[in-house]
Amino acid sequence: MESRYGIPTVGVHVHVFARLVESTVRTNGMPRARQAFVPAPMFNQPPAVLRGYVEGDDAVHGGPFMERVFGLLTKPLADEDLRGSGWDRSTPRLLEPDTEANLHELFRQNHWTDYLPIVLPTEERVEAMLAGTSRSPDEVVGKHRPTVGMEVWESTVEKVAVNAVMAGAAPEHFPVILALCSSGDTGRQSSMSSMGNMVVVNGPIRNEIGMNSGIGAMGPYNFANSAIGRAFGIASQNLQGGSVPGLSYGGSQGCNLSYNCCTFAENEERSPFQPYHVYRGHRPEESTVSVFYVWGSVWSEHLREHWHEKLVAMMSGLEPLEGALFVLDPIVAREFCAKGLDSQERIAEWVFENVRIPARRYWDHIMLNMVREQVEGGVEPWASLSQAEPDELVPLFQQFGVNVVVAGGETNGHFSIFQGAQMPPAFRSDPNVPLVAPIDPWR
Amino acid sequence: MGVATTTERKLTVLDPRGYPPKVDARGMAPALETLQGKKLFLVDIGFENSNTFMAQLHGWFEDHEPGIQTEVVRWRDQHNPDPELCERVAAEGDAAIIGVGT
Amino acid sequence: MATAVGQKLTVLNPEGYPPKVDATGMAPALETLQGKRLFLVDVGFENSNNFMAQLQGWFAEHEPGIRTEVVRMRDQHQPDPELYGRIAAEGDAAIIGVGT
Repeated sequence: MESRYGIPTVGVHVHVFARLVESTVRTNGMPRARQAFVPAPMFNQPPAVLRGYVEGDDAVHGGPFMERVFGLLTKPLADEDLRGSGWDRSTPRLLEPDTEANLHELFRQNHWTDYLPIVLPTEERVEAMLAGTSRSPDEVVGKHRPTVGMEVWESTVEKVAVNAVMAGAAPEHFPVILALCSSGDTGRQSSMSSMGNMVVVNGPIRNEIGMNSGIGAMGPYNFANSAIGRAFGIASQNLQGGSVPGLSYGGSQGCNLSYNCCTFAENEERSPFQPYHVYRGHRPEESTVSVFYVWGSVWSEHLREHWHEKLVAMMSGLEPLEGALFVLDPIVAREFCAKGLDSQERIAEWVFENVRIPARRYWDHIMLNMVREQVEGGVEPWASLSQAEPDELVPLFQQFGVNVVVAGGETNGHFSIFQGAQMPPAFRSDPNVPLVAPIDPWR
Repeated sequence: MGVATTTERKLTVLDPRGYPPKVDARGMAPALETLQGKKLFLVDIGFENSNTFMAQLHGWFEDHEPGIQTEVVRWRDQHNPDPELCERVAAEGDAAIIGVGT
Repeated sequence: MATAVGQKLTVLNPEGYPPKVDATGMAPALETLQGKRLFLVDVGFENSNNFMAQLQGWFAEHEPGIRTEVVRMRDQHQPDPELYGRIAAEGDAAIIGVGT
């Protein structure tokens, strides 16, 4: 609004984003853009509280909020502010030589690790990692950013290899890590909602590199699962320009799933369903990786006598719009089949038909703003949902919001329902890449 | 002791960061001499409660600065540009307050 | 770096200390089960009782000369000396399960 339309504009933010705002305006070439700050929280506050924010002090700079707004709009600017400030930048290939201990400290200080020990990326180790792909070290792999609206960074094969070494990955894991970094997804989403990831690998490469889809698939019991997921997280934060609390990460509580992005292989051999990547239109012999964004989960064992009631209860507390991801042990997958729900589509239909909540609760939700435009534009199903009477029961999830993968070693009939889904293209750093990332081109 | 020698030795390692984009300079719009008699757009960016905040801001201007005209408008989608709205603000307004970033 | 990678290091073993394994002798086998009494011990996990009931049914149908009795272990995670004492006094052999 300022630079293109010439309108002096004050941006108002909650105070916890002060560092993020400062960084964002600087990298947008307008380092002293007009900003004023109110206290957090903004969500779920009554009008009187917000009036108090207006009449109170600026939550970052002090002094009356409105006095600051007037000052920002009427105080003459310096010439440099009228020009803005641009510059070209890059990152070097090599760091200054130093001792092992100092380099580990440097990596920690620069927020380049997950604060667990890393393997230092020497040229020799990076070269060994590069042997895991036929692709050239200087080829561009993908685009990266912590969330919508933030600047987009790029990576090359060599930069991804550096991060793969740091995470302790082996060269045979590298094609999967490259595919993840090409996916337009991030393992360090900055959302204040503290989402984490789930990474599901499909196809022949699962067994070629010894991934675990059986007992303990989602736990710390397999080299490939652990290293690939950790590499995706570390690579994401470094390739996208950081993931630092208050600066480039806003998750209020954070998410423990982020340590290795909950990475596992689907148990295709024991699943009665088609593999997830086939469900998404890939051939069985293709190897792929799919990134989900997830929050917490609820779990149970077996579909018992009152399974219908139980499933509805398990799901009814989830948030609409965020999707539901079923991770089923093969035993439970077969139990779903025995109930007639013998495909991902049928499970999704069942959820659509049976898991319903009152419309008043459906719309009493933080993510309402995400579909406001669709509601007002008459886009279905949102438009009809918005017309429902408060007590009318409406589907908590549309069919497309429900996904199913199979993992587990059949020691019992365990299943988890995660809140989460794959990120829609518009929210990914590259909306043109496929939802399910092919691995084979990165071999 | 061999380990001590290794520990003291200097290593060369690679920088793990990706490549950031070039930063293009963006000039700010000149300040106004006064807001009196001007039209100020209060732009609700669309996050939860931003509309309520802008309504309160609108009320504050009515109570305290009746000489400043304000109008609350809504950004179409908080994750994308809204050129139509920007054009309208530029054509009809003198300044804007946009928020709330949250 | 080549030297460091190739160099042999001496490091400490991270494992904890396991307990001593005491020898536990098995009970001698019976010459025959015919005319003997077999306790079918339901250890208490879900469906163990149903499994033992099915097992008892099998014995009734196929081996009527072998007497069986289904008993329930008090707590599947703790020893049940009273039950063991009873089985020792009244029985000749036992089948216990189901470990699940």
